[in-house]
Amino acid sequence: MADLRERTRPLTLDEAFHLVRRMTLQPTYALAAGVVGKRPSEAVAALLDAPEAPFPSPMWALQTPNITDFNEAYRLFIEMQNWWLGRVLTVTSPRERLIMLWHNTFTSDYLNVYVSHWMVAQHQMLRTHAYDYSEISRRIVGDAAMLRYLNGDQSIKGRANENFAREWFELFSLGVGNYSEPDVLEAARAFTGWRISGLVGTYNRQLADLGEKTILGQTGPWEWKDVIDITLRQPACARFIARKLLRSYVEHEPSAETIEDVAKLLRSSDYKIRPVLLTLLSSEYFFTPNLRGALIKSPLELVVGLASALNVATVSRQYVSQVMTRLTQEPFYPPTVEGWKGHHAWITSSTFPQRQRFGESFVDGRQIGSSSKLTDDAGRTIVPDVIAFMKQFPDANDAEKIVSSVAQALLAVPITKEQHDVLLEIMLAGAQKYEWDINSAAAVQRARFLIQAIARMPEFQLM
Amino acid sequence: MKKLTTNEQASPSVDRRSFLRAAAGGGLAVATLPTLIDSFSVQALAGGDPRLQQLLEDQDRVLVLIQMAGGNDGLNTVIPHSDRLYYERRPTIAIAKNKTLRLTDTLGWHPAMAGFRSLYDEGKLAVVQGVTYPNPDRSHFRGTDIWLTATDADVFGSTGWVGRYLHTLAPSYPTELPAHPLAVQIGNATSLALLGSAGPMGISFRDPDEFYRLVNGGGGSGEVPSSEQSDTPAGREITFMRNIARSADVYANVVKQANDKSGASSVQFPASDIGAKLKVVSQLIAGGLRSRIYLISWANNNFDTHASQTSTDDPTLGVHANLLRELSEAVTAFMQEMKNRGHADRVAGMTFSEFGRRVYENGSVGTDHGTAAPLFVFGAQVEGGRVHGADPDLVNLDPIGDLLMQHDYRDVYASVLLQWFGVQDTMARQLLFRDFGKGAPALFKKATTRVEESDARQAFVRIGPNPATDVVVVQVNVDAQTDATLVLSDIRGMECRSARVEPWTGVGRLELTGLPAGTYIVTLHAGRSIAHTTIQITR
Repeated sequence: MADLRERTRPLTLDEAFHLVRRMTLQPTYALAAGVVGKRPSEAVAALLDAPEAPFPSPMWALQTPNITDFNEAYRLFIEMQNWWLGRVLTVTSPRERLIMLWHNTFTSDYLNVYVSHWMVAQHQMLRTHAYDYSEISRRIVGDAAMLRYLNGDQSIKGRANENFAREWFELFSLGVGNYSEPDVLEAARAFTGWRISGLVGTYNRQLADLGEKTILGQTGPWEWKDVIDITLRQPACARFIARKLLRSYVEHEPSAETIEDVAKLLRSSDYKIRPVLLTLLSSEYFFTPNLRGALIKSPLELVVGLASALNVATVSRQYVSQVMTRLTQEPFYPPTVEGWKGHHAWITSSTFPQRQRFGESFVDGRQIGSSSKLTDDAGRTIVPDVIAFMKQFPDANDAEKIVSSVAQALLAVPITKEQHDVLLEIMLAGAQKYEWDINSAAAVQRARFLIQAIARMPEFQLM
Repeated sequence: MKKLTTNEQASPSVDRRSFLRAAAGGGLAVATLPTLIDSFSVQALAGGDPRLQQLLEDQDRVLVLIQMAGGNDGLNTVIPHSDRLYYERRPTIAIAKNKTLRLTDTLGWHPAMAGFRSLYDEGKLAVVQGVTYPNPDRSHFRGTDIWLTATDADVFGSTGWVGRYLHTLAPSYPTELPAHPLAVQIGNATSLALLGSAGPMGISFRDPDEFYRLVNGGGGSGEVPSSEQSDTPAGREITFMRNIARSADVYANVVKQANDKSGASSVQFPASDIGAKLKVVSQLIAGGLRSRIYLISWANNNFDTHASQTSTDDPTLGVHANLLRELSEAVTAFMQEMKNRGHADRVAGMTFSEFGRRVYENGSVGTDHGTAAPLFVFGAQVEGGRVHGADPDLVNLDPIGDLLMQHDYRDVYASVLLQWFGVQDTMARQLLFRDFGKGAPALFKKATTRVEESDARQAFVRIGPNPATDVVVVQVNVDAQTDATLVLSDIRGMECRSARVEPWTGVGRLELTGLPAGTYIVTLHAGRSIAHTTIQITR
């Protein structure tokens, strides 16, 4: 059973790193150092409540869609990816990471939806209501992108399309085993009546099947909203969402008891996420030492994490998008309605070496496995300032200590004495410890050697 | 057996009866002998002779799995055009009889599948009808997992059926890696099918050259040693990644060598994604990569045709037609390439999809998730030109209104394991968690028989001359009351000659005229016992 009692001891630097790694996409030293010494609940609240800059939709996305050919559609896909990547590369808010959880639950992909205006609108809906699962559930039914993605806009009274109804139960709310095949057929009837009009879905009761239906054991003339209400009252729904939260924030295979405990929190908060995160992320359970490094970074977390650590938020959005695509997480393009499977599925004989090459090339200011330079969107060359990175740590001029500090900042698991010695040797590259001088020209390449060696370690893929 | 040339010196003093006595006493290794010799299961035959080992490995059988992800609409693939209900249930998307390509009197191919039709007519493609499992799951993800893990519908398996099979070939994987990857998936993902209890049993990459560059392109300034293995969540993930990294390191070279060696394709592969993937597979096979399993898939749930499955004005066109055309054309090109490169007899393929679709079309010119559907097995050694099972029964349906099962998908896997890979019955049962009895359809030619393999040193008294030219005389150690036969096969396992052993002398004579020079296998069949040795024919 998970110990969800509040942990009151002030955060150490290791614990602070653990917290910001799990809460944000930008677990920088500055962010972690900023909460050291705070009570965990204070730190979590401070991160959750930090002011957020507005994030307006691109102008084109607010106009009535009028896409005439694929080239135009494709141009907008790219613009949308760039628009969102610009946000996650520059903003630290925990909301950005939480949105990914919802996007990976209520999936839609840009190619099937085709109209990027609707994808942007869906993203903004998930953003606005990121801390309220219940509200997202209600809004996703008539979300234009979702109506297109799962054929809700083509579901006809009398000949209902089952696509959305099935995924609603299986992937959005209850999970396999908690509903029956007839529930799918009946819910599909209740979800009829939606069409897309301009930027939004509209519900027309005249087109909806208002007949009696039995859904999850309850009989009545249910309409779409009733299905949502009936579903969210199922204990299985709270468990399903609890598991997703635990997988995203704590560990990949939480125990049934832990899931139940978090499900209770969700039920008592009426599916509001903020109070659940506040309790969960300041609990004794969350800070169990051996849960550090238990998650595998998604491509987004890997790329944005390194870019933020090295303070290169201006790196070309299209380059980031390409890297994520190669690492099998193309922005706005989950492979199936199940979303990205995550965890072990991120790591294959093909993606693992690509992750290593990405990291070491990035440190050098090169693109993945090539000699092309990193640039910003205007084509200006970017060279990560590894010396500035190292100078933020105390004792940057002490070779032993800087190796420890850099490893602590970049790795979620502590390094062994042997690993420390090898990293030190790699950094010194033949020089003596006492020769280490952070201000000398020779330090630049050595700092790169160190960070690159860390970026090649399997441990670097953990968070 | 020690060396090819030691047969002449085999001791004549061994009691002739010892061969059978030993067999009865359980002193013989029980082995399954596929018709084509399998380098893993009959490594003893090579007896450490590297040349023979190489010859055997060159003949290893290969299976290409093609996943039609998303749930292929079987009724619009193999079309039951003589069933009036098919047209009643599908007023918009049904394909008219005169548009189909002939399959049988009552079934037609989708018009986009001219290639499959030709393969079928040439006897190189078999159709298995009504494949699913009891209580089928209509979820993509559960359905896919069930097919990949080969478990019952209510069991959540964590290893794949292919992974479990491959683990029997390399029990100490990944601590000891075989020289070549056991399985290759073309793409960046690793399928659950390839997962064994010790992690993924195969590797995946999109492009062999890119794979090589990525693995070897590091700016290497020294590797950091692993932390001690610890049984914590993080410790387990580190081990997981180190194993994957090591297999990538070891295999990137092997894969590149095979790809470089293969040279240009002899046929034009279609430009589709699936065509490009099958092209890579063909090059790796032709270049000498000795992987047993290749797995390819469409990139997304492309076959999930809930809406606009066909064009509204012509049901023979549209999304589904394009997908079937991609499949048919890519497989046709692949088969031709394998034939041109001399690998046709050792390469077979199978398609699968997590489920078929509803009998009724929906209101969006599409079909929703259903149950049973046909799958296809192809290859020169496939018992082709046959439809296993009856035409789909559109009258007797399950309570939801979906097609009933004719073949359990695991029976088809059993056919693959037993008939194609020569896995023993008991082992196949263990791998598939199930007793399939006689359920495995005969999908491949030359079904293997289970035999007891004998120690060749006891079985063969004398064999000569070796090397031979016109005739070879073989004296064996068999009881006079036992019918004994000698079979001469070439190194691919194709039978060339056979001869009866004279009961009292134990001597048989094999005529060799007309056979090309090379290494041949002499197999002694005596009752349920079997023994092998080899001879050289020179010209």
